[in-house]
Amino acid sequence: MNDMVDLLKSIFKGTDARTLGENRLSVTTPGESVLAVLDYLKASGFYQLKSISCVDWIDDNEFELVYHVASLERPLHIMVKTRIDRDKPVFPTAMSIFKNAGIFEREMHELFGVMFEGNPDLNPLFLDNWKDIPPFRKDFDMRKYVKDTYDSIPSFEEYKWQKEN
Amino acid sequence: MAERELELIFGPQHLGMIGNLSISLNVEGDTILSARVNPGYLHRGFEKLMEYRNWIQNFPLVCRINMIESEPVEMVYAMAVEDLAGIEVPERAQYIRTMIQEMSRLSCHFTAAWAYTSILGFDTPAQWAMGDRDYLLDLFEDLTGARVYHIYNMPGGVRRDLPEGFEDKLLAFLDAIHNRLPDYNSTFFENRLFYERASGIGKISPEDAIEMGGTGQVLRGCGIKHDIRKLEPYAAYSDMDLEVPTREAGDAYSRVLVIRDEMVQSVSILKQCIEKMPSGKVYEKTPNPFKWKIPKGETYVRVESARGEFGLYLVSNGGNRPYRAHFKTPSFVHGLVILERLLKGANIADVGNIMLSLYVIAPEIDR
Repeated sequence: MNDMVDLLKSIFKGTDARTLGENRLSVTTPGESVLAVLDYLKASGFYQLKSISCVDWIDDNEFELVYHVASLERPLHIMVKTRIDRDKPVFPTAMSIFKNAGIFEREMHELFGVMFEGNPDLNPLFLDNWKDIPPFRKDFDMRKYVKDTYDSIPSFEEYKWQKEN
Repeated sequence: MAERELELIFGPQHLGMIGNLSISLNVEGDTILSARVNPGYLHRGFEKLMEYRNWIQNFPLVCRINMIESEPVEMVYAMAVEDLAGIEVPERAQYIRTMIQEMSRLSCHFTAAWAYTSILGFDTPAQWAMGDRDYLLDLFEDLTGARVYHIYNMPGGVRRDLPEGFEDKLLAFLDAIHNRLPDYNSTFFENRLFYERASGIGKISPEDAIEMGGTGQVLRGCGIKHDIRKLEPYAAYSDMDLEVPTREAGDAYSRVLVIRDEMVQSVSILKQCIEKMPSGKVYEKTPNPFKWKIPKGETYVRVESARGEFGLYLVSNGGNRPYRAHFKTPSFVHGLVILERLLKGANIADVGNIMLSLYVIAPEIDR
C-alpha cells in the first residue's frame, strides 16, 4: 500500500495520500486532477466505483466530494477527495470513467445542490416539489422546516373553532 | 417512437415488493421498451437526522434503514464508531455478532423467498418461508428482546450475553431448517415450473455487473467469487470455514440458486459459531454517552449484508454527534441502475421476477 501512496504523490502534483487503518487509503487532490486520478486508479485495478459522498464543511465554505473506488480482488478501498467552492458548486461528471457515476451524482445534486457538468440526468430522485435549499446542507435547519411546514396546518379542533367564529 | 407505445406504472404497491418503489414502464404490446425507477416513497432523511443525535442515540435510528435486515446496518455503524474511537471488541462479542449476522441473513433470505414465491404464484413455499422466518424472529426476541429492530449491537460489543439455553434452541431450529431444505428444493428452487420462469430472464454479463457497481448475488450469479466476509473478514469470520457459492449463467435463476446455497452456508456458520463460542465478557465499557466526544476523523467500513456490500462513510469533527454519515447500500445500484438496464426488452410479467432476483429492497434505496 505504501508504494501506492508514493506513486500517487509523484505522478499527480499537489496530491496527498495517507493510509487510514489497514485497508483504507485517503487521497486528497485538487479539483482539476480528480478525473485523472480516478482514471489512473481504474487502470491500475480499482475498477469499481462504490459510491460518491459529499460533505458540507460550512466553516471552510467548501464542499468535499469523496469518490469511493475499490477492486474486487484486493481488500484495499480508496477514497479520492477534493474540495470545491460552496458558493459555486460546479464539478465535471465522472461518467466518462465510471458509467454508474451518474446515479450517485444525481443523488448529491439533489441533496447538496452540487452541479455535475456533463451529466444528462440530474432530475430529482427522492424529493417531490422541493422548494427550499438542498436539505442535506448544514445551513438547512430541519427542526425549523418541520415547524414551519407542519405547524401551520391547523388541527381539526382549531379548524372547527375558526369556522364557527 | 413505437407504433403503440403506452406508459404503465408498476407499483408502488405490489404483492411481493419489499417496501414501496414505483417503476414507470414504456411498453409496446407486452414488451418493455424502457423503464424508469422512481424511488422516494420511503425517504426519511436518516443521514440528516443522524447529525442531530449523539453517537449512541443513533442506534435506534440506523436499524430502521432496512426493516427486513436491520443487523448489518447496526453492525456497520457500530464498527465505524469503534474504528473512529479506537475501541477493541472482546472476542465473545465478535462471535455473538457473527451469529446474529447470520441469523439475520437467514431471515432476510426467507423474506426474499416469500416475496419471490408469492409473486410467481408458488403459494405453499411462500407460507413455509414466512413461518420459518417467524421461528427466527422468536429466537431474536429471546436474544435481544425485539423481533425486527433489535438495537443489539453497541460500540464495544453487544448489549447482553446469550440467555440460558439459547444455543440449544438455535440448534433445534437449525436442524429443523436442514430437514426442511429438500422440501423447499422440490417445491421451489428445483421445481421445473420455476426453472422455466426464471432461467434466461434478466441476464447480465460479468463485465456489465462490475461496471454498473453490482455486488452480492449479482456478481456471484455470474461467476465472480466476491464476498466481503472472505475479502476483508470482520467480526469472527476469519475463524469460520465458509464457502462462497457462485453460478455462471448470470440470469435470475442462478441468482436465486446462489441465495439458496447461501442459506446452507449460513446454517453451517451458525453451527460453527455455537461450537467455537469462547467465554468472556461481551461488552467493553464506553464513556458516558451524553459526554462522549469522538476524535476528528473519517472512516469507511463495510460488511456483507444478505444482498451485497453494505458500507458506511462516517465523518467526525470531534464533536458528540456524527458530522456526516453516508450509507452505501447494495439496493441503491441494483435497484436504480441494474434494474433499469435489465428491464429493457423484458416482458411485463417478468418485472417482479427480475426485481426480486436482484433482491431490491426499497427502504434501503431511499434511506
